Amino acid sequence: MANPKTNFAPAIQVFKPHRASLPPLIPYLKEFWRRRAFAIELSRFADKAEYLDSKLGKVWLVMNPLLLAFVYFLLVTVIRGGSTEKTGLSTLAHILIGLFTFYFASNSINGGALSITAGGRLILNQAFPRALLPLSSSISAFWQFLPTLPVYIFVVLIGKLFFPHTQIPGLRLSYLWAPFILLCVGITGYGMGLLFATMNVYFRDTNKLLSYITRIWLYSSPVLWRPEILHGWHKIFLYINPLGPSLAATSDVWIEGRTPSLGMLVGSVVWALLAVLIGGYFFISRERDFAVRI
Amino acid sequence: MPEELAIRIEDLSIKYKINIDTKKTLKNAVMRASKGEKVRTRIVEAVKHLTLDVPHGSVLGIVGANGAGKSTLMRAIAGILPPTEGQITVNGKISTLLALGVGFNPALSGRDNIILGGLASGMTRAEIEEKTEEIADFAALPDGFIDMPVRTYSSGMYGRVAFSVAVNMTPDILLLDEALSAGDASFKEKSFNRMRELCAEARTIVIVSHALQTVNDLCDSAIWMHKGNMLAKGKPEAIVDQYLKFLDVGTLPSNLEDM
Repeated sequence: MANPKTNFAPAIQVFKPHRASLPPLIPYLKEFWRRRAFAIELSRFADKAEYLDSKLGKVWLVMNPLLLAFVYFLLVTVIRGGSTEKTGLSTLAHILIGLFTFYFASNSINGGALSITAGGRLILNQAFPRALLPLSSSISAFWQFLPTLPVYIFVVLIGKLFFPHTQIPGLRLSYLWAPFILLCVGITGYGMGLLFATMNVYFRDTNKLLSYITRIWLYSSPVLWRPEILHGWHKIFLYINPLGPSLAATSDVWIEGRTPSLGMLVGSVVWALLAVLIGGYFFISRERDFAVRI
Repeated sequence: MPEELAIRIEDLSIKYKINIDTKKTLKNAVMRASKGEKVRTRIVEAVKHLTLDVPHGSVLGIVGANGAGKSTLMRAIAGILPPTEGQITVNGKISTLLALGVGFNPALSGRDNIILGGLASGMTRAEIEEKTEEIADFAALPDGFIDMPVRTYSSGMYGRVAFSVAVNMTPDILLLDEALSAGDASFKEKSFNRMRELCAEARTIVIVSHALQTVNDLCDSAIWMHKGNMLAKGKPEAIVDQYLKFLDVGTLPSNLEDM
């Protein structure tokens, strides 16, 4: 065999019939892992292409959720009939970090949903694990999320100067939970991105439907309201929401400054696993059909 | 599979279902379901019971009219389309150029697109960066175009870059679908030379082309496909002759013309 150095793919590949059933998973996942650089670079290049001509583009990525957070804050405050010095800032901070985290997941899902139909020609020309395309969208969503964290910290620090009696904690050990919760949010977003990407191949208006789903989902998540307002059996609403436990845990960490409850942590992990397993099953079992349907 | 074979196709059939009437939307699906209608579909048998061996270091040409199943066969060999029946065994790394300018992001420069193309075909970042210069040199675009956005390219330049990426991946098996029509006479000469080099290194090439002279010049065997069936297999000159007779146009110069 010529030139072993360039032997990227397994030397002998056998393509056999398979429909709506999983391909051999170990080679698939190996190939997926081996080509992870492609997903990372694809997201980097997609960003580069999008913001090549506009330096303000990146600013908007942060401004958009930030302004939205202020709008929601006003809305919530008006509905509640004003706020005290003690709760005002923490409400704002809660909406900010919740919205930023929610946007991380929803950008990952929306981008992922479009990644297959938009990557049509790439799919027609080359064989590679298609799950890399939604992964690239999730990576993009993460890079968009990252600069919102310093914005949050900045707003809170300024807020603390003006309202020293706020309940928002300073540096706490609980912050160490934040990366873990973000990982759960990221995996949940990726898994659901896989699911909607598959749906979007079969029904091209899925992404329109998705914009409504996202909105309803936001209102039913503990972003505009505190998870504490749910008592007794109402708490079920937190657990049946794929982002419910992780958003409640986010609130625990950033606003209450405490370690999230075990229930929320387990809930976050379970939803992340469910999303990636179910989404992954739907996606991988149908991905070889994509080339025909695009 | 015997050592000397690059590709073995055994009793391959590929069928797929196409949706012929409405647009594929959730809304339409719900509307149809409420009226109790069924989706009108048609089964396309793109490839029917095809068996073929391609040894290492050979160049196979595939000729046939539009809709003969040539592109479907190429996609199946590349592992993009699953077989409906039969199986394909491929020994070696595949590089494909199945549709021009694929995966190119028009807002990015030619150089960025080369990197992206390399990564998509499974190279590491370091490997493709090492090759980028070589690929850019091969494409030989006029002054500085390689660093300009691809949307500013002419279709010839577009094709040159795409072709350069495909042939410079040092593939074991190179699949080219109507890729040789890109570029001018001098680029074509260069492409031919590069493909002959690849063959000399015992790499395998499969070419789909309507430029019959190309098939005669480059290939050492050819097949003729018609409506999913392989009608004939043999020396390229013989196959091209048969194909032309079938088309009932004789060897008119227009069919031997490459461009």
